Amino acid sequence: MSWEKEGKEGSLLKWYDIMEAEKYEYTVGPAGERFFQGLKENKIIGSKCKKCGKVYLPPRIYCEDCFTKIEEYVELKLDDAYLDSFTTIYQDDDGQKLAEPVHIGLLRFKGVNGGLFCYLEGTPKKGGRIRVSNFNYPLRISIE
Amino acid sequence: MKVNIHLNKRVAVIGAGMTQFRRRILETPQEIAWEASSKALEEAGLELKDIECVVIGSAPDAFDGVNLKGEYLSHGSGGIRKPSSRVFVGGATGVMAAITGWYHVASGMCNTVLVVAEEKMSPARPHPQSVFRYIWDPILEKPLNPNLIWIFAMEMHRYMATYGIKKEEIALVSVKNKRNAANNPYAQLGGNITVDDVLNSEVLVWPVQLLDISPVSDGGAAMIMASEDVARRYSDTPIWVDGVGWTLDNTEWPARDLAYARYLEFAARMAYKMAGIENPYKELDVIEPYDPFDYKELHHIEGLRIAQRGEAPKLLKEGVFDIDGDIPSSPSGGLLGVGNPIAAAGLMKVISIYWQLKGTAGKMQVKKPVHTGLAQAWGDLMQASTVIIMRN
Ligand SMILES: [Zn+2]
Repeated sequence: MSWEKEGKEGSLLKWYDIMEAEKYEYTVGPAGERFFQGLKENKIIGSKCKKCGKVYLPPRIYCEDCFTKIEEYVELKLDDAYLDSFTTIYQDDDGQKLAEPVHIGLLRFKGVNGGLFCYLEGTPKKGGRIRVSNFNYPLRISIE
Repeated sequence: MKVNIHLNKRVAVIGAGMTQFRRRILETPQEIAWEASSKALEEAGLELKDIECVVIGSAPDAFDGVNLKGEYLSHGSGGIRKPSSRVFVGGATGVMAAITGWYHVASGMCNTVLVVAEEKMSPARPHPQSVFRYIWDPILEKPLNPNLIWIFAMEMHRYMATYGIKKEEIALVSVKNKRNAANNPYAQLGGNITVDDVLNSEVLVWPVQLLDISPVSDGGAAMIMASEDVARRYSDTPIWVDGVGWTLDNTEWPARDLAYARYLEFAARMAYKMAGIENPYKELDVIEPYDPFDYKELHHIEGLRIAQRGEAPKLLKEGVFDIDGDIPSSPSGGLLGVGNPIAAAGLMKVISIYWQLKGTAGKMQVKKPVHTGLAQAWGDLMQASTVIIMRN
């Protein structure tokens, strides 16, 4: 049984329970497959709307503005990568202090819609060239 | 048109689209929503920029395994930078989304609405049934660890016992709907089965057997609703929404009459009054009652006052609800045949009626001419009911 009862003098009778499915198995979708396949070859893949020319990262099979199907995939140039924002995390989401602070960066590409959250190695700073040190997801990036 | 509420604008449906209903669709929920939506826009001859407002219908978040699914689905549903909202009343959601689209237009607030319903039931492990574990009253019901199938088994048994209905008679619904689904290009589980197949299928929770239930499914459905002036500009065959109704009955299972769908009678009366329907048996030409289980279609035909209490099985046996009968019921194949991605399945029923009235249902098209149709869905803690009536 997943529940138990607890009765205490002066307090209400309560049941405790845990609310969750055991697990989920998500699909990445056809565009998602191209993206993750690309990472295996150290490439960052976006998808391009042929109607408005917008490039989406991560790629998806439709343009949210034109609402048309996207069939073209493009490899993004790492030279166009820039750090849009970053943060440093000192506590986890249970409120526990981390042994080492963790830096997170928002990686974007010039002229591309969207971006990726990445682990940011080294000392975070604005500007400078982005280097991707590990293409396993989540990506690890650093700034030269 | 007789109405019991004040209407600013008459509302039409001018386009619809669906994805295939399948188990474990590869596309993400957002991509499923987009596919259905873009097909609906195409049929209506509109572009996303012509849409003023978006209504997203999706049942529990837990199916897709994404919290706040309305937000999650919004860009796939074309809802970005527009007034967008999500409705969910469990299984009744698909028709509630259409009703919500209807009142956005009927109120005069906007002229064009995209209504999208999406559900992906296959990500949850070990089985989507597990996401229903926590819909029960935590004190009174949860300690027995109910699941939906045994609750319905209890209801089905009460229905059979009250009116002396046999399983053979109920199994005919499954036979009919799976046969109809064979004509539906979107359907997951069409085919020719027999009453014996149903009676010999695995017993899950007596009296519910495997072929009494709709399959686990993923899918999306979308519909464009418009005010009369817009509808006439874009369509030669707008289909009018002439009546809507929705109700919540008591959530308390032990307090309800399990043999009769009172929750539906109230919703139906509201919709009939609005559409000026006095005798549903005579005035309805085609219906899509909600059929996640075979007995529910009969239950709902009675709740809709199309048949007297306990009489639906008799009419079914006489062929009244066959595709060439007096009142074809679930000509799409229903949830039993098309599949049951909850919210999408409800909107699929509305779209099926729309295509029937428009005369574009293809191989699903019923034999006789049709002018008035009804779609219905039901759910939440099995006490929410939604009804929509359309005419051509
Ligand atoms: Zn575009």
